[in-house]
Amino acid sequence: MSNEVMSVLKRDYIYNLMLKGKRTDGRAFDEVRDIEVKTNVIDKAEGSAWVKYGDTEVLVGVKMQVGTPFPDSAGEGVIITSLELNPIASPDFEAGPPRENAIEMARVTDRGVRESGAIDLSKLCITEGEEVWMVFIDIHVLNNGGNIQDASSMGAIAALLTTTIPAESAGKGEDIAMPIKDIPLGVTVINIGGSLMVDPELDEETVCDTKITVVSNKDGSISGMQKSGDGALTEEQLLKAVEMACEKAAELREAHLSDLQN
Amino acid sequence: MEREIVFPGQLLSENKADSGSGTYVKDGKVYSLLYGVKNTRNKISVIPFSGKYIPSSKDFVIGTVIEVTPSNWIFDIGSPYDGLLHVSEYPKRVDSDKMPGIMDVGDSALLRVKDVNPSMKVELSMRERGLKPLKVGRIIEVVPAKVPRVIGHGGSMVSMLKKEADSEIFVGQNGRIWINGKENDMDRLTEAIDMIMKQSHTSGLTDRVCQFLRDEGDVDAEEDLAEAEEVEDESEIPEDTYRKVDALLDETDD
Amino acid sequence: MNDKPEKFIDENGLRLDGRQIDEIRPMTIKIGVLSRADGSCYLEWGNNKILAAVYGPRELHPRRLQKADSALIRYRYNMAAFSVEDRARPGPSRRSIEISKVSREAFEPVVMTHLYPSAVIDVFAEVLQADAGTRTAAINAASIALADAGIPMKGLVAACAVGKVDGKLVLDLNKPEDNYGEADLPIAITQDGEITLLQMDGDLTQEEFKEAVKLCKEGCYQILEMQKEALKTKFSDDADIDIPDDIDEDVDVEALEKCDTEDSGEEDVSDESEEDEGSEDVDDEEEPEDVEEDFVDTVEEKTDDEEDTTEGGEVREQ
Repeated sequence: MSNEVMSVLKRDYIYNLMLKGKRTDGRAFDEVRDIEVKTNVIDKAEGSAWVKYGDTEVLVGVKMQVGTPFPDSAGEGVIITSLELNPIASPDFEAGPPRENAIEMARVTDRGVRESGAIDLSKLCITEGEEVWMVFIDIHVLNNGGNIQDASSMGAIAALLTTTIPAESAGKGEDIAMPIKDIPLGVTVINIGGSLMVDPELDEETVCDTKITVVSNKDGSISGMQKSGDGALTEEQLLKAVEMACEKAAELREAHLSDLQN
Repeated sequence: MEREIVFPGQLLSENKADSGSGTYVKDGKVYSLLYGVKNTRNKISVIPFSGKYIPSSKDFVIGTVIEVTPSNWIFDIGSPYDGLLHVSEYPKRVDSDKMPGIMDVGDSALLRVKDVNPSMKVELSMRERGLKPLKVGRIIEVVPAKVPRVIGHGGSMVSMLKKEADSEIFVGQNGRIWINGKENDMDRLTEAIDMIMKQSHTSGLTDRVCQFLRDEGDVDAEEDLAEAEEVEDESEIPEDTYRKVDALLDETDD
Repeated sequence: MNDKPEKFIDENGLRLDGRQIDEIRPMTIKIGVLSRADGSCYLEWGNNKILAAVYGPRELHPRRLQKADSALIRYRYNMAAFSVEDRARPGPSRRSIEISKVSREAFEPVVMTHLYPSAVIDVFAEVLQADAGTRTAAINAASIALADAGIPMKGLVAACAVGKVDGKLVLDLNKPEDNYGEADLPIAITQDGEITLLQMDGDLTQEEFKEAVKLCKEGCYQILEMQKEALKTKFSDDADIDIPDDIDEDVDVEALEKCDTEDSGEEDVSDESEEDEGSEDVDDEEEPEDVEEDFVDTVEEKTDDEEDTTEGGEVREQ
């Protein structure tokens, strides 16, 4: 993805800092950047959230449409998650259809929402086998300062939490709040030379050879994971990473999402 | 002296003889081409707030190798145009197959622009004193338009930085600055350069940066004595330094 | 979709949203909002929310697209999927491709592309929320983003639309006027009033058209003033922005040469010597070599059509 060559000096600098237990922006290994979550920012969307993780900014919009269910789940609504790495967000992103990185991040976000059962899909059924609500989660990346994945995960659930289903204007009864059952949240941990840290900023994300994203729920259970990158993790590192991610998710859920539940 | 923020297309003078850099003449009048600050010393010019580095002959630059070909190292020099360092412009004789051993992709170097042709082919050279591949130190990136502030009047700022931070400094006109010294000196220097960028349009900057480096240096020295590892602990910085820096930032913060 | 309103202009001559017929919607402009872009602007206009960013001039790939004597401008108008009533499929549509093309052309006459041969200047305009007039809103934002990126331009570009409802010309259409109006005429102008973008659909008499262009230009000039105001006030204390006389705005090549070539290799002890010689010997006389000095003086009163081809070389070289 990144066609920019990172200078060896910079790489060494980050690595040497890590050896001393430090990060480029002075954070602790288990510390996230400043996070901001604003909801209801787009009137045209049924739910929306503008999320900032440090310099990283994503805008998530939820649109609802009436459609037909899949034959094998005739009584359930449909979730469709897309993510675009817009060229506006980074000199490294190019216009064109989503490439593997964008698709991977969209799918990881999607799995988190889907597998956690965050949305009660049965309540999105209008007429079994015929009409259900389709939930389009569109993630628009505006500025890449690293860790788009976690910002997207936060944005998706924040937007869903503030979504109202426009049943009335579609002639399907009264407007209702999105039936939310859980609040899954993804936290990414990177490995630089054996040290694990959460919420990588751009340079750290470029330097690291392995990332692991863990999506965990209110009760601490895990509903999605993805290891990404050319490197490998030991079992010990993996378990530590999962623990870090779940702890951090609980903290962030409390800090940024607890007030949003409708 | 009048200092004013100007925008592209702003009328600056009725007299076309006033046209300096960053301006253009139309119907005998001078207009700004750039978003920046008007400077009326001698002619009227506009100093932009931002902008890409465009290489020009004799510029000092810092580059990072992005490709090694049989006879050239190709450098990213933070510009729309890559620079070519022909193997013959390396100070020593190098065989083609040994080139990556000298500098490989990702390695950085101090260089000088030898020539730029009209189609913006940029030829670099390392055959000059002080130019070399970099193995140590750090590279700090700044807005190229603000490089003159880092150099200062007659080199006053950069001389002061070198002295106060006890470090090597090479200023590339492409907005990259290489520093090399002890870790905590480089930390101080990084902050000092950041301070120069943030306060670039204020007076008395050299003195303030100097004071900042000294204060920080004292803190470092104290901590060295106490053998404290945590050099970064901000609470150790004398209160008044903070106040001063804050006041300055308030002044100029956009 | 809502039904067509019976009347667009009430008995007091006010429009559905309470505006006069020649009044534009409120606009807010924020500059430099994105950290990765070279220049950026967030603009709200009515219910439009637009984010524009500029990258470049930068290297252009693939090479075959490069223009030997000037930079290419690429303009990408893009709508977020959730920006409109019915979700838009992500990616370019025929509509967005057309808008991108004419918007790019709106900037060609003002951007000094010949200063950057074979490079590209990328302009991205993202419509985050669409009301009526997204293309003109995007141009207004892009214009600021270009200035913020330090791109040399002869002037800003401002854009606005005029339409016709209830048989009357109105400035800056709102959504119902756009949907059900009898005509839509978006225009972009330079500060000299030259028209760099014009599209039209609907039905206007020649007389009305003449009137419409006049009205539209007035709207554009209002916007131009707002753009200037936003640029001037980006730095809050712009009144007393203070660059003292003793600061050099051009690279002092001689001093730099000394500094950069002095240290060779080891951490040397050249500090003492520097202290004395550094500050005095170079006076504030600017050197002819100064890097940024040269690129503009040559844009003399030459007529516009000549410039592009002749200047490419000399501008940089002298």
